[in-house]
Amino acid sequence: METNTSYDPSFAREVFENVDSGEEIKMCMQCGMCAASCPLREHMDYPPRQIFSMIRAGKRDMVLNANSIMMCTSCYTCQVRCPRGIPVIDVMHGLAHYAISKGILTRKDTAVFGREFWQQIYKTGRIDEKDLSRRYFFADGIITGIKKSLQMARMGIIMLLHGRMKILPEKKIKGIKSLRSMLDKAMQTGKGGSEV
Amino acid sequence: MKYFLYWGCSLEASGVNYLRSLKPVCEALGMEFEEIPDWNCCGASVSYAGANDLAIKVLNARNLALAEKKANYDIIAPCSSCYIQMIKVNHEIQENESLRERVNSILAEDGLAYNGSIRVRHIQDVLFNDIGTEQIKRHVTKPLNGLKVAGYVGCQSVRPYGEYDSVHNPVVQDKLLEALDAKPVPFPKKIQCCGSGIFLPEMDLCLGLVRDILDDAVSHGAEIISTVCPMCAMNLEMYQDRINEKYGTDFDIPIVYLTQLMAVAFGMDLKRDAALHHNVIPPENILKAAIGN
Ligand code: SF4
Ligand code: SF4
Repeated sequence: METNTSYDPSFAREVFENVDSGEEIKMCMQCGMCAASCPLREHMDYPPRQIFSMIRAGKRDMVLNANSIMMCTSCYTCQVRCPRGIPVIDVMHGLAHYAISKGILTRKDTAVFGREFWQQIYKTGRIDEKDLSRRYFFADGIITGIKKSLQMARMGIIMLLHGRMKILPEKKIKGIKSLRSMLDKAMQTGKGGSEV
Repeated sequence: MKYFLYWGCSLEASGVNYLRSLKPVCEALGMEFEEIPDWNCCGASVSYAGANDLAIKVLNARNLALAEKKANYDIIAPCSSCYIQMIKVNHEIQENESLRERVNSILAEDGLAYNGSIRVRHIQDVLFNDIGTEQIKRHVTKPLNGLKVAGYVGCQSVRPYGEYDSVHNPVVQDKLLEALDAKPVPFPKKIQCCGSGIFLPEMDLCLGLVRDILDDAVSHGAEIISTVCPMCAMNLEMYQDRINEKYGTDFDIPIVYLTQLMAVAFGMDLKRDAALHHNVIPPENILKAAIGN
């Protein structure tokens, strides 16, 4: 078990220094409240508690390749239950961002979806739901894209018929240029890094 | 009372029935809305894949700064994901001076700055605390006559601070439902996550989450489920046939926004104000029967 492994501080240091909210795990007392909180816990290889002890034990590959860091639904259950008030969700997102920026896409669909989401904000300042799904479906190439779109086509048509889809594409916000330079600056100077 | 309404991206598309019903209901209750000029997306819960934490903070701080520049109204964020993003960044900036300076040095790219003077509120908070159930009751002309509703709160509409309701056992939505003369059913899964922003890419796993929520509502006698979040509404409504296919269930329960129920109970037009025609699982018959139409 990972808890018997001796302490290897180098990966922990890497996490504290480079991962958004990474230093928050210093306070973790390994109670396991967070692990019992995740909605998708049955599908996770290592729940948050275990991820945090693996960071302390220096298990770099296991942590960065864990499926759990990309399976966080952002429900905040962990955060409201953690006796130490650790923002577990922020650490999980920070780790996912760090892993993705290193090219690790353990939950590929989720990583690609999130990246497309961000790129659309960067492009226009807002999200256009139909354009987002189209870009997400086709991120893997045309064949997969057509297959995925067909699977979802019925739902798309239903939504369109119920007036729950915008017909016109999202226009750029007026301040898009300055928004982009703000985001560039944040990406360059923020802790979580920019290599996406 | 004046507020900023930050409706966000979803309420212009998949959540259009939320925005359409929210506006007339709130106006009837004496609320006035302004838009935050040139607002941008909040980043929702999935942007971390591409963005670092600071970039997501800046995104929200820009909206807060644009609002603060215009007026000192509270911001209402009806989408729970917008709400949690914005309230979180707001608190962090208010409480952490060095973060505020750092964010402001970036907002300065467009001559903006945020001083932390704005309050971010969920629509449930405003309806319950600023308007109040007594005032709401006075507007009810078509009481819902004991309609059994499962009030689905979801996870992001009260958390992480629990500013207006318990994060473990929220009651505000049920009280608002009671003010309409609906009967909220006991519903332990009302705070279980529906899969939120990763539902689409993790659909195989998340269908089970929604099945459990629907099952809990139906087995406690709910005829209809109310929500206060466009993502919850989408995830609970749009995938019922897939769930039925996968698990052999037979769910066909309408999912409506709390504000749609309010519009109905206020005797407003079912189409123009309650926007019921946008719902994919039609709620009209159940609601008409409840109000005796
Ligand atoms: S709930 Fe908090 S203290 Fe307990 S294991 Fe999780 S992060 Fe650590
Ligand atoms: S916010 Fe993420 S890490 Fe926390 S309980 Fe929910 S899924 Fe798990």
